[in-house]
Amino acid sequence: MPLVTRNIEPRHLCRQKLPRVRNELECVTNIDLANVIRQLGSLSKNAEDIFGELFTQAKTFASRVSSLAERVDRLQVKVTQLDPKEEEVSLQGINTRKAFRSSTIQDQKLFDRDSLPVPILETYSTCDTPPPLNNLTPYRDDGKEALKFYTNPSYFFDLWKEKMLQDTKDIMKEKRKHRKEKKDNPNRGNVNPRKIKTRKEEWEKMKMGQEFVESKEKLGLSGYSPALVYQNGSIGSVENVDAGSYPPPPQADIASSPSPSFSEDNLPPPPAEFSYPADNQRGSVLAAPKRSSVVSPSHPPPAPPLGSPPGPKPGFASPPAPPPPPPLGIPPPPPAMGFGSPETPLPPSPASFPPHPDFAAPPPPPPPPAADYPTLPPPPMSQPAGGVPPPPPPPPPPGPPPLPFSGGDGQPAVPPPPISDATKPKSSLPAVSDARSDLLSAIRQGFQLRRVEEQREQEKHDVVGNDVATILSRRIAVEYSDSEDDSSEFDEDDWSD
Amino acid sequence: MAGQEDPVQREIHQDWANREYIELITSSIKKIADFLNSFDMSCRSRLATLNEKLTALERRIEYIEARVTKGETLT
Repeated sequence: MPLVTRNIEPRHLCRQKLPRVRNELECVTNIDLANVIRQLGSLSKNAEDIFGELFTQAKTFASRVSSLAERVDRLQVKVTQLDPKEEEVSLQGINTRKAFRSSTIQDQKLFDRDSLPVPILETYSTCDTPPPLNNLTPYRDDGKEALKFYTNPSYFFDLWKEKMLQDTKDIMKEKRKHRKEKKDNPNRGNVNPRKIKTRKEEWEKMKMGQEFVESKEKLGLSGYSPALVYQNGSIGSVENVDAGSYPPPPQADIASSPSPSFSEDNLPPPPAEFSYPADNQRGSVLAAPKRSSVVSPSHPPPAPPLGSPPGPKPGFASPPAPPPPPPLGIPPPPPAMGFGSPETPLPPSPASFPPHPDFAAPPPPPPPPAADYPTLPPPPMSQPAGGVPPPPPPPPPPGPPPLPFSGGDGQPAVPPPPISDATKPKSSLPAVSDARSDLLSAIRQGFQLRRVEEQREQEKHDVVGNDVATILSRRIAVEYSDSEDDSSEFDEDDWSD
Repeated sequence: MAGQEDPVQREIHQDWANREYIELITSSIKKIADFLNSFDMSCRSRLATLNEKLTALERRIEYIEARVTKGETLT
């Protein structure tokens, strides 16, 4: 719904209850005139705002123009001093000098809270602020802000950032593996020789024009690739991008607005960035429908489908790594649960989540077999809690949870008891009846180790630059170095043998 | 009756005159508001064109500077 930027305030001159007077017509006239004066007041306020914005813009342009004028003057002086005969042009100079690169500063954070015009900011400020859930933050064990479970304006950006970082890591791993394989068999030659790429094919393809070159993944016309990339989620053709990425400097022409980053076209664009002030209303509107599915984008992959939000059921479907948002199908609490099954969901969970002790709050009545697992530690239990987005009020300490947890634990385990038994990777879990204390201590240790690892990972993440441009550029760099490696290998094959 | 009509009539006439006066004022306010909005829009579009030209000029100057400086201040 579009918001009106500037409103003139008393909209209706005389729609109010009239006081008891002798002469009502005069009364109405007087009230109208008073409201007209108020309207004039708000009109002048809006006018001042308008002219203020235009003035600041014009001022920045004026400063830019003056600096440009200075540069032109300096250049003028310099050019007159140039003498074509005197200038030496050495071949080494051409090759060794750094090529000209125009400054590629990309505009970022365009639709941020800071760039919001003042009148609209005032409109936002008349809305209710979100509830002060951040007061509950010191009671959380996992260090996340409690308000983020209610409304998180940076949710989409975080999700996208995770995805990009993950992709860069994957690409680097693949490269390392590739390099390692090459290093491992240096003398074996090419077991699977690469298909001989001749330049002729490439020229043929480019004959009709750069746009018609078929991309590696058959994205069709490069003009449409941005749209298609959204479906694929992958980077478009490398050939297209290679040819277009380094236009010769003299072509830096005036009329054409330079395409700032083809790379941004090819990658799924980051979501619009939101700053995160304390009273962000938009975020809550957006977040409300979405809250039901994911708690924190920083742990998307490993989350087993956790409990659906309003239901007090502890969702703990057995398969360890389904995608978090959609399949929140929680198996209805079955009357009886198998013994071995609760163990199976446990191991993956500590790997993925820090404890969510707040899950302990809505425990279903523990079915009788669950009583056999009093010693099951809190952390795995907390995992399903993560999926419950509006967190129940202050989470109880992790001490008491084991008992209610075991109740919740039992339920989802039932559906695929045989399968989960078969696929159990962590064979270290002994049978239930024996050495429960050993199990407990082992799992506790394991869990704590992972917690430290996660902290280290988090610290590493914080070092990374937090804006779209750096993340994208890193990803592109990795992609390109990857393709360059490939092509360099191709060249080596060309020359070897 | 006739005596009553006169003051009432006078009042009603007066009221009509007042309303016309107020209507005049409010329609002028609306015209001013319209003018302000259209002025704002046209100014913004002109400033945007200016911005484009400035950016293009800046890029050209950058390039020319790079060409002219004999490797003294290459970044």
